[in-house]
Amino acid sequence: MHGNDNTVGAISVEKDMTLDARGLMCPMPIVHLAKKVKEMSSGQVLELLADDIGSKDDIPAWTRRTGHQLLGMEDEGKVFKFYIKIK
Amino acid sequence: MADKIVMVVSEGSFDKALMPLIIGTTAASMGMEVHVFYTFFGLKLLKKGVRPKLKGLMRPFTGMIQSKMKKLKVPGFDEMMQQSKELGVNFYACSTSMALLGVKESDLADGVKVLGASAFVDIAAGSKASFFIG
Repeated sequence: MHGNDNTVGAISVEKDMTLDARGLMCPMPIVHLAKKVKEMSSGQVLELLADDIGSKDDIPAWTRRTGHQLLGMEDEGKVFKFYIKIK
Repeated sequence: MADKIVMVVSEGSFDKALMPLIIGTTAASMGMEVHVFYTFFGLKLLKKGVRPKLKGLMRPFTGMIQSKMKKLKVPGFDEMMQQSKELGVNFYACSTSMALLGVKESDLADGVKVLGASAFVDIAAGSKASFFIG
């Protein structure tokens, strides 16, 4: 799964997995995210796609709370892309 | 030890049924311990096979809001209850309310614990945030 380059701001992110939470409303993106992260190992990077407007603030709050690292966020208008490094 | 939040639910209408489950699944997904105490008319939400309805004059519109939720893919009561349990949210039934409303332990959904107020206050005393839903 390695080798999928995505540029977030000035940094390039290599993602290990993608979670597509588009179409899900709050709080389901967070619920699915918490479950997904349990399947992943430390140091891996998860790409999360979400279109719930609340996720723009919800995902950063979730990473602050859980200690996983938010590498970056891309706002593509209708879709937000988050890159999260597993602690 | 994980941070914890507590909630008290004293009403059993449709919106009051969903609110603690939304906050509960969110907090549990954020790695927090969640404890929800159901008292007075909130207690009926812990009964097996419950179908919460909107309150009062709004009651006939319950089906309407449910189909809107389905269309928007907002999970309903049963799915949120299931998610909450999978995430380890703790559900408590107030023992006095059970006696008042004639609810037996066998009427309660699986995984619900019967608790007195002092045991709940003991749990609540160390929490980081508390919510009252009634």
